[in-house]
This record gives sequence, structure tokens and C-alpha cells, in this order.
Amino acid sequence: MAIYVLRRLGAVLATLVVMSLLVFLSTHALPSNTAALILGQYSTPETRAALEHKLGLDLPLTVQYWRWASALLQGDLGASLVMERPVAPMLWDAFGRSALLAGCTMAVVSTVGVGMGIVAAVWRGRWPDHGISMFAYAGISVPEFYWGLVLILVFGSTFHLFPTSGAATLADGFGTMVAHLVLPVVTLTLTLLAHVSRLTRSSMLEVLDSMYVRVARARGFPERVVILRHALRNALLPAITILAQDFGFLIGGIVAVEAIFAYPGLGRLLIFSLERQDLPLMQAAILVLTAVYCLANLGADLLYGVANPRIRYAGAVE
Amino acid sequence: MSLLTIRNLSVRYPGAATQAVRDASFTLEAGGSLGIVGESGSGKSSIAGAILNFLGADTRIDGQILFEGTDLVPMPARQRRPILGRRIGSVFQDPFTALNPALRIGAQIAEPMIRHLRMPKPEAAARAVALLHDMGMQRPAEVAQAFPHQLSGGMKQRALIAAALACDPPLLILDEPTTALDVTVEAQILQLLARLREQKRIALLFISHNLGIVRKLCDNVAVMYASQLVELGDARRVLDRPLHPYSKGLLASRPPLEAASRGSRLPSIPGQMPQYPAPEQGCVFLARCAFADPASGCATPQSLATAEDGHAVRCWQANRLGPWPRLREMLSHGPTFTAGDALLNITDLRKSYAGGRSWQLGWKRGPVLRRRAAQVPAVNGISLSVSPGEVLGLVGESGCGKSTTGRLALRLTEPSGGSVEFDGADLALMAPATLQAFRRQAQIVFQNVGSSLNPRLSVGEALERPLALFDLVPAEQRRARVEELLEMVRLPRDYRTRYPHQLSGGERQRVAIARALATEPRFVVCDEPVSALDVSVQAAIVNLLADLRDRFGLAYLFISHDLAVVAQLSDRIAVMYRGTICETGPAAEVLRPPWHPYTRMLLDAVAEEIDPAVEPPAPQAAHGSGGCVFAARCPHHLGAICDREAPPLKPMGGGLSIACHLDLPPVAPVRNSTSPDAVTVR
Ligand code: SF4
Ligand code: SF4
Repeated sequence: MAIYVLRRLGAVLATLVVMSLLVFLSTHALPSNTAALILGQYSTPETRAALEHKLGLDLPLTVQYWRWASALLQGDLGASLVMERPVAPMLWDAFGRSALLAGCTMAVVSTVGVGMGIVAAVWRGRWPDHGISMFAYAGISVPEFYWGLVLILVFGSTFHLFPTSGAATLADGFGTMVAHLVLPVVTLTLTLLAHVSRLTRSSMLEVLDSMYVRVARARGFPERVVILRHALRNALLPAITILAQDFGFLIGGIVAVEAIFAYPGLGRLLIFSLERQDLPLMQAAILVLTAVYCLANLGADLLYGVANPRIRYAGAVE
Repeated sequence: MSLLTIRNLSVRYPGAATQAVRDASFTLEAGGSLGIVGESGSGKSSIAGAILNFLGADTRIDGQILFEGTDLVPMPARQRRPILGRRIGSVFQDPFTALNPALRIGAQIAEPMIRHLRMPKPEAAARAVALLHDMGMQRPAEVAQAFPHQLSGGMKQRALIAAALACDPPLLILDEPTTALDVTVEAQILQLLARLREQKRIALLFISHNLGIVRKLCDNVAVMYASQLVELGDARRVLDRPLHPYSKGLLASRPPLEAASRGSRLPSIPGQMPQYPAPEQGCVFLARCAFADPASGCATPQSLATAEDGHAVRCWQANRLGPWPRLREMLSHGPTFTAGDALLNITDLRKSYAGGRSWQLGWKRGPVLRRRAAQVPAVNGISLSVSPGEVLGLVGESGCGKSTTGRLALRLTEPSGGSVEFDGADLALMAPATLQAFRRQAQIVFQNVGSSLNPRLSVGEALERPLALFDLVPAEQRRARVEELLEMVRLPRDYRTRYPHQLSGGERQRVAIARALATEPRFVVCDEPVSALDVSVQAAIVNLLADLRDRFGLAYLFISHDLAVVAQLSDRIAVMYRGTICETGPAAEVLRPPWHPYTRMLLDAVAEEIDPAVEPPAPQAAHGSGGCVFAARCPHHLGAICDREAPPLKPMGGGLSIACHLDLPPVAPVRNSTSPDAVTVR
């Protein structure tokens, strides 16, 4: 198992190296000129050339990549061109806020989604099942910015229940912090619920049909025990994998939701850097997102291994 | 008061036109044992389902199920649960799926005690270990800590029996508990059940298709046919002197464990069990009964009446019928094979599969981590030969490599070593054109006919395929040839237009055989061709294979786990264990002493009687590589030599060879004659 973890970590590293190359090359392919950006519209070719030389932008791409990557490894993410500040502290602040948003969303999606899946499976073909699947499909069939706008209109503008933009920290009080999270989390959750709940439903149905559930019933265990102890444990395994997949969608969703709710997270920073063609910021933000995605998948696989006794205990007992 | 009384029980599934169980009544006394036997679809499992309440809320159940005096049928599920958990234990057919993969064995056995007896957890856990010990487990504490996937099939079934007995119920319901297991493991489980019955005075309701097992384990037997009980009484009496024609036919069509002469055929019951028997149209067995006499009483529905013998029989003629008619011995049978030039010659054949993977640190210009797949030998250096027109039976338990051998013989999979020669030509060296010719001459029939026939092709299309593929018959004559093929396997010509789903299991197997015959082969590999079929259908297919063998001089490699079926058809038998041949010789010699210890174990496993006092031999330490493959289970293990040296096949005389270090007596000379048929005992 330890060797397996090491190998997977190695694979994550390799992915990151490749991603850094791709990010580096693609940002350099953008039709922009860093020196012109920095110097503004009144620059002359001479001043631009001088600055390019100073920044090393006239060096061959390989050398530039090498410089950038080795600085990266030392934790130096460079300085933002537009805000003229080091990228790292800005990035970590934003990252922390996005992580909070993502963490809350995942927690809600996994509990509510799995719960809906169980209810739908147990009451299969009856009204709770139909209701849940309609709700789930309504959520998935509309993009998140639509739900974001609807929620802003209903809960923000009409009822003034929750703040519709920005973020708050613990310093502003716990209630305020949570209030700021409600609408973005709900928006993200709506689009992710369908996947998890449908999958939990089908794996739960399969397990409820299995021989060992029939055996548990034949042993006279109450239905609650049969479902929660005997069926659910086995039905949850595939749900772990699906949640990891959903993490990818979640990252995409976060970028959109942060824009709608003016939530100062990584997604918003990324969009900002793209709009302003702030290369160092853009590169750093994309790399961080990639790393998070890879690690989340790794985490899910390890969790699967730990939760599945077939992987944890491989040897046979004679 | 009886422990369990079933009165006029009827079961009808939602949407079904007829009842799955019709008006069944029987009683089971405390400590008694009743076997319910019947073919698949006869309704026997629905009786268990009705008692255990897992048929679903929409299934209609009429009649009474009186357990310890209370009727379970009208009882709401909530009230029934404590009874199910504490008073009735149940064990089902497939131990591989009946244990919860996410829970430890010990926890699964302890759970009924914790829930129903309110036993504290540590106490329940300790009792679970004790129960596992009672089940004959070697290291019960270790097993209790294990997860299901770490146990073998036999151990799983023992654990399930332990869980079923956790609350000391007075009744144990077993639904085909050994059908998914190998015969030797089955024998151990039956022994265990017999012992438990004696020690704990548990009543058994034992549901099975296997008459032999029921005879061994049960005092009483109920024979079911097409939703109805047709005969009910003392097990020995019913099974030794059956009165109902169906029981007679069923018992007669079971092949005896003896080598059969080439001319002999098994008695069989024609046709198959009606799937949806229409009620009130005369005797349910009318269409297949050899004694049917529609002019007299057979055309009216029969009722279960007490016959002379004291058992209840559903046949008005029961008291005056003779034995089920045997088929006349075939007088003129085909040319017997000529030993000499072998048609198929297998030499030192090997095949390994990639097994469980493990990580290994290697060294190749610096340390590298690589994933090494362990090579698991499925076939480990076997040599066999089949002469033209000869039938070689290959027996062994699941996983012994017999099916792999069959596929290697046809080059459907590539060997890892050794050679296969057909008609003197090495398969591995064959040019594409020769290989095509070989494929025409060598065919295969599989066990699982359901998946080997394309569901979208009609029977006629399926049979025309090989004709077109090998360009054997011009297009305009193909239909005639298809009809001819159908006739060969005794199916009506108009089956040409049917699709596989419209056929019964036996009919599908006939189509599969016809398809194999389409290319006029000289050699056919039959891989468990009758194992999925019911006994009465099985006999007819075995007879058909024998007829075809004689009519066309076919050579078979007949692969099966069932020694009796193999003996019925084979000229020679090879017994296989863990990828090697441990005994081979003429069928009659293999079946009589001297035996290889494994052959002996196989024969003992299907013997008529069990002695509950006898403990099965404890498995030895796991064998290392290099020693005798059977060392870990051998009751005659000789010590170091068996663990160190693989015994070679030694000739014992009479054509028999045995691979064992034991000093076995040579084959006793055969009485009277020398003709090949004389060695058979019929
Ligand atoms: S009643 Fe007639 S058809 Fe039915 S089993 Fe008896 S003899 Fe056969
Ligand atoms: S060689 Fe030894 S272990 Fe193998 S079957 Fe013979 S006696 Fe048993």
C-alpha cells in the first residue's frame, strides 16, 4: 500500500511537470506583449526592448522555462504584472477562500446527494423516487450561472436573506461568514447533486438486490439495519469514485460561481488574470488548480482502497 | 404439535399465469429432516421463500405455514422478524454472494446474537469463534477476523451455516447449499450437517435437485414436479422403491458410478417439465410419462393419495407400475476405436496465467520499481492422447485446469509450453490454410449454451454459419443440410425458424451440438456439456452424444466435474488436480482399485452413505512448489517425500497409470474375457 501511494504521488508530480510546461507554453502563445503591458501605451520599441532584456524575455524559451520553474520550486511564483505585488500571498488568500467554498460544497453534496440516492432507492418507483429524480435533473439541466442569478434575485434582492456578493472571515463573526457562503454553496450543490444521487441510487438498488441483503432480511434484521449497515456500506464504494470525478466539475463551477457572487477566490483571480493578461498570476493560478485536482483524485483512490477490504486485506486465509 | 406444518400452500408470483407452488402440504417434526427434491422451476425454492418471507409483497401466498403452532402467512413482517432470526436459520445456494463483502466474518456471525438475543458484543464475538470451531474450521479466531473474499467457497458456506445456527434455532432451511461447491467440499459440508443434526437436534428442511444428497441426509423426502408434490414419504423407501412415474424416471436417469459399455444408454424422461403447467388438465406428468394411459384415469387431475407403501403418491396407477422402462441396449454400435495412431496428441502441455500482481524492487541500471505479475500455472505439464473414435474423459474440480486443457487442445488459447498435435501435425506450426482445415475437423460444445448461441440468430441461421464459413454446402442445399442436422440431434425440422430464447436448456444444447456437427468434425471437445441441465434432460443429452459418437466415429475430449457422467461415456478417463494428471487409464480401471488418493476422495464424496461420526481429514500445511500437487489435502501423505518430489505417472498394469509415491497394489486381473466391453459392469 505504501508503495502504491508513492507511485501515485510520483504520477501526480509527473502530471504537474507536464502541466507546468503546457501552461508555460500556452501563455506564451497568447497574442500579447508583456513589456508593452507593463509599460503601457506610451512605450517605445527601445524601452520595450530594454525591459524585455531586463526581464529575460529575449532569452530562448527553454531557458525562460527553466528560470520560471526553478523559481516556482523555491516557492517564488513571481510578481503580478497588473497589481505589481508578489503572486504567492495573494494566491494563498484566494486559495483558502475557494477551498472553504469547495469543502462546504463537497460536504453538502456528499451528504445530501448520498441521502437522496438512498431514499430514492428504498422507495424505488414511488413518489420520493420520482420527486428526487426530478429535482436532481432540474439542477443539472441548467448551468450554474442561471441558478446563481435566480438565487440572487430570490434570496438576495427580494427577501434580503443572504448577502449576494463578497466573502467574510471569522473576524466578521461566524454568522456573517456562513451567510456569505450560503448562496454560492447552494448554487454549486444544485448542479452536482444529480450525478451523486443517481449513482448512489443505482448502486444502492444493485446492493439491495444482492444475496447478502436477502440473507440479512432472512435473519430477521430490522429494515433500518439492513439498509444502513448491510447495504449502504457496499453501495458507498462507487460513490467515492464519483465524488472525485465531480471534483473536476466543481472546479469548473467554482470559477463561474465566484464570478457571479463576486467571491474573492481562486476562480475570480484566474478570470481577472485572464482579462488583464497577467501572465505570472495566470500561470500560478492554473498550476494550483491542476495540483488540487490531481491530489483530490489521489485522495479518492486512497480512500477507496481503505474503504474496500478487498484491497486492504488481500491475502487468503487457509 | 409438529415444528413446521405446511397446509395447502400456494404461491403465485405477480403477473404469473399459474402458481409456482400449488396446494402443497407436509409436516416436519422437531429434530426431523425433510428433503424437497425437484428440477429447476419445479417450485421447490418458492416454498422456502414463502416460509422466509422474501418473495416480495406482491406475491400471493395462500394456505397456512404453521411454525410452532403459529401461522406465519398472515403475520406482518415486523412480527415475523424475531421468529426468522431466532427460530429459523437459513442457508442459501451461493456462498460466494451470501456473505456481506464489507463486514468481517466474525461480525456477521455475531450479529444475530447481538440483535435477537441481546448478547453483549464481546460475548457474541467469542461465541462466533466457538461456532466457527464447531463448523470444523482450523483456525477459527483468524477466520473470524477475515473478510469474505479471503475465504474459499467451502469455508464461506461453513461460516454461513455458523451464522444461521447462531441463535440455536430448532429449524434450519437449506436451499441447495452445496450446489455451487466441488464434490469433495460438498461431502464435507454434508458430513458437517449430519453431525450438527445429531448433536444439536436441529430439524432440517433441505431443498435440492440432487437425489443422492437427500437420500444421505434426510429421513423424509418430498418430490416436486411442475409446482406440485408428486410423492411424499420415507426417504429410503421413496428413493429405493419410487412409486410415482416421475420419481422412477428421475432416479433411473441418474448415471450410475460405473464404466458403461459402448452400447449402453441411460433411461431418460422424454421432453421437459412444462414451465407454466395449465391447471386441471389431467395429470401434470401426462406428457412425459412412460405409463400414461389417457383413456383411463390419467386424463383427470391426480390427487396425492396414500399408496400401499405408506407414502403419498399423486398417480392413480401408482400401485401397479413396474420400473421405468430402460432403453434397449444398442446391439449394433459403431466401430470401436483403434488404439494406435493417436488423433490428438498432447505432450507436456503448459499454460500459465498472470495471477495476482505484486510490487517488486528490481535492479536494472539503478533501482526500478516494477509490477510483477505472478505466473499461476493452470496446466502444468500434462500429456494425453485421444485415438480416432475414442472418448477421453477429463475429470477434476473447478479450477483444476480441465477447461483450459480443452481450449488448448483446439488452440483457442496459446500454450506457454509443450505441444498439441492433431493427426500428426503440430498445431503451433500450422499454416493458416491447414489451421482452417483443422478448425473444421475439431469442434467444441460449451457448458453455458445460453451465452454460446447468438440470441439474434435463428437456429437455422446459427447452423448455416459454419456451412457458409467453411464453404461446405452450396447455398441452395444449406436448408436441407440444416434440417438434416436438426434431425441428427432429434429436434423437429421446424425448429429452424426458432430463436434461442424460445428453446429450453436441453434444446439449446442440442442446437449447440448440431452446430458443432455441421462441419463434419472428427474430434469434439465437450466442456461440461450437461452440467447446467436438469437430471432428466442430462440423460437424454448424454445418450445423444453416445449415439453420435457411434454413428460418426467421433472422438471426444469429454470434460466434466461429474465422475458418473464421465464414466457413462468415456473409454478412458484422466483425473486432473491442480494442473496435473494424477491418474489415467481405461474407465473401468480408474473406477476400481487401486486408486490415487484424490480419485479415492472423489469417489468417496459421491458414495451413498455418510457417517456423521467421521471427521474429514484436516488439511495439511499448504504445499510448497515442487512436491505432489495433492499433498496439502492428501489423507495418505507420506511426509517429506510428498512435499519435496512430484510423483511421476507410474504404470500399474491394465493400462492404468497413477502419480503417487504410495506403494499401491498392481491392478487385479480382469475376470473372464479380454474384449473391451467385458470390463464394464452393468
Ligand atoms: S396418472 Fe398417469 S400420466 Fe400421471 S403419472 Fe400416473 S400413470 Fe403417469
Ligand atoms: S504422492 Fe503423497 S501426497 Fe501425493 S497423493 Fe501420493 S501419498 Fe498423497
